[in-house]
Amino acid sequence: MLKIKRLIKSREIIIFFTIIILSFFISLYANSFLHIDNIKNIFMQVASIAISAIGMTMIIITGGIDVSAGSIFGITALTMAKLSTSGVNPILSLFTGAIVGTLLGFLNGILISKIKLAPIIVTLGTMSIWRTMIYVISGGRWVLGIPSKALYFGAGSIGKLPFPIFLMIILIIFFSYFMYKRPFARYIYAYGNNPEFLRISGINTSNVLLFVYTLAGLMYAISSFIVVGRTAIVQANIGTGYELQVIAAVVLGGTSVTGGKGTIIGSFLGATMIAIISNGLVLLNVPALLENLILGVLILISVIADILTNRGEIQ
Amino acid sequence: MNIISRNIFKNRNIILLIVFFIIFIFFSFFTNDFFTYYNIVNLTKYGVEIGLLALAETLIIISGNGGIDLSIGSILSLSAMTIGVLSSKMGLNILISALIGIAVATLAGSFNGFLVSLIKIPPLLVTLSTMYIYDSLALLISMDKYGNAMPISTFPNSYFFVGQYEIFNIPIQLLIIFIPVVIILHLLLSKTVYGKQLYAIGSNDKVARFSGLPNNKVRILSYTIGGLLAGLAALTMTSRIGSARPDLGANLNLRAITIAVLGGTNIVGGEGTIIGTVIAILLITVLNNGLQLSGVNPIWQDGILGMILIASAIVNFVMYKKLNYSN
Repeated sequence: MLKIKRLIKSREIIIFFTIIILSFFISLYANSFLHIDNIKNIFMQVASIAISAIGMTMIIITGGIDVSAGSIFGITALTMAKLSTSGVNPILSLFTGAIVGTLLGFLNGILISKIKLAPIIVTLGTMSIWRTMIYVISGGRWVLGIPSKALYFGAGSIGKLPFPIFLMIILIIFFSYFMYKRPFARYIYAYGNNPEFLRISGINTSNVLLFVYTLAGLMYAISSFIVVGRTAIVQANIGTGYELQVIAAVVLGGTSVTGGKGTIIGSFLGATMIAIISNGLVLLNVPALLENLILGVLILISVIADILTNRGEIQ
Repeated sequence: MNIISRNIFKNRNIILLIVFFIIFIFFSFFTNDFFTYYNIVNLTKYGVEIGLLALAETLIIISGNGGIDLSIGSILSLSAMTIGVLSSKMGLNILISALIGIAVATLAGSFNGFLVSLIKIPPLLVTLSTMYIYDSLALLISMDKYGNAMPISTFPNSYFFVGQYEIFNIPIQLLIIFIPVVIILHLLLSKTVYGKQLYAIGSNDKVARFSGLPNNKVRILSYTIGGLLAGLAALTMTSRIGSARPDLGANLNLRAITIAVLGGTNIVGGEGTIIGTVIAILLITVLNNGLQLSGVNPIWQDGILGMILIASAIVNFVMYKKLNYSN
């Protein structure tokens, strides 16, 4: 009985039902909402947020934050696009882009874990540095004519299932297993709860941080390949504001920004909710600028709800 | 400990000041249009606006518990659009519009403070969501009947007094807004009980609470003053450029935070001075202006700012370490 109660109160279930109710009301007013093509569309968008959210969830569980996600996302997309359009083998270009993302995540990780700078300062700094590099490398021009092999992450499909959705499912299952079962994942949660205890118990805490920021860099790269694969174009402003969407998905999904709590599935549901809202608003002809207003209010409400229920638990 | 740390902070300001003079002299000699009356006045006017935001961040970061305000630029946009819409669309007296605009900014700041201290949401999250909210509100009130965001540039001439004129060759906004604000804030932090309380809750929230300090009140007030300063920045900015746009404050958050951190404000709270921030304002404003005049693409501004942010955080860290070892 207690288990069922806890399950019903769990964040994932609440969001899941919110999504169902939301979808029901949107489909009442927009017939095309439940059409299979539209649903596919929604989950393609979910994939581009949820994969980055895997990395961001772990970062936020350690009590950190990464606002450079959008810039790393942009620079990996640009690297891949520039290389593949200049005649480099598409697979090699994708590979190089992924390495660039991993390295930039690693750099964040080094500054945060070894030099012990505050995550918000480091990532605010790298955010603007890489954003500048994007403008410098692209010269403000679009990159077009990316070979179709390099677009596979967004345009490919396995049977009838689009590749990005397939990839998202695989990654979410893998990393959920990792977060539930692997001892190393315990350290990630433990670091968020109390870094001092972890250090005292003889764990190399800086490796925990280095790992999560590096992994996040790789995840941003994969997400950027999905988005570029769908649009087949890289603009100079690619990825601006992307970090906010990812952070919003993670927070909506119940990850506590003070650290120590959160799940990958929750973040996936958060991403789904954001995608459904933005899709629904388009179908309902609501001005696009209201989307941000709703997103902001939604984050606040979910955090307030989270804090109020937690208070109840303590008492 | 106290004497050592005070000396190091003094040193830090002196180091910053020396760097500032080196940069200033360098640009004066090697950049043609830098050391001209016109440029210096212009640079000062721009510096006032970003400076007010940096001072706001300084107070908020000092208040601790992860204090930071990502919405400060959005508050500026919202306040600027409020002034514009009230005076040109509603036909309200410009003085009253400006006062209401500043009041809106103050209210927006105190709303942040309220969520941070009473509901105990981490400042990063609060201001991330209110950034969305204030930005959207600024866009919303700027919409015409077709749903397009429209800038407003029909201010009465009397409004430009604050932003476009000089007395004895000194820009008005420096004289009647920036200098008084700096003096008041400096006295507030260094001479009043409130200042002591702010540093106390910033360096250790629990200890401060157990010693009976009104933590919530003190923290809410710091966010409120932050909002007020953003409102003043909105006033000077709209008055200087003669128009109000809903994206006026975009990208200003990073600059304001960078300046505060460069000026010696510790991101974990409890440390920082108004004088340090003022010197950092001088440094960054001159650096940006000089680079622009030397023909460096403005794209580089934010990148360089990012590097300065990380570098100054490293310097802060090294100094802090030295402090601990020497103790």
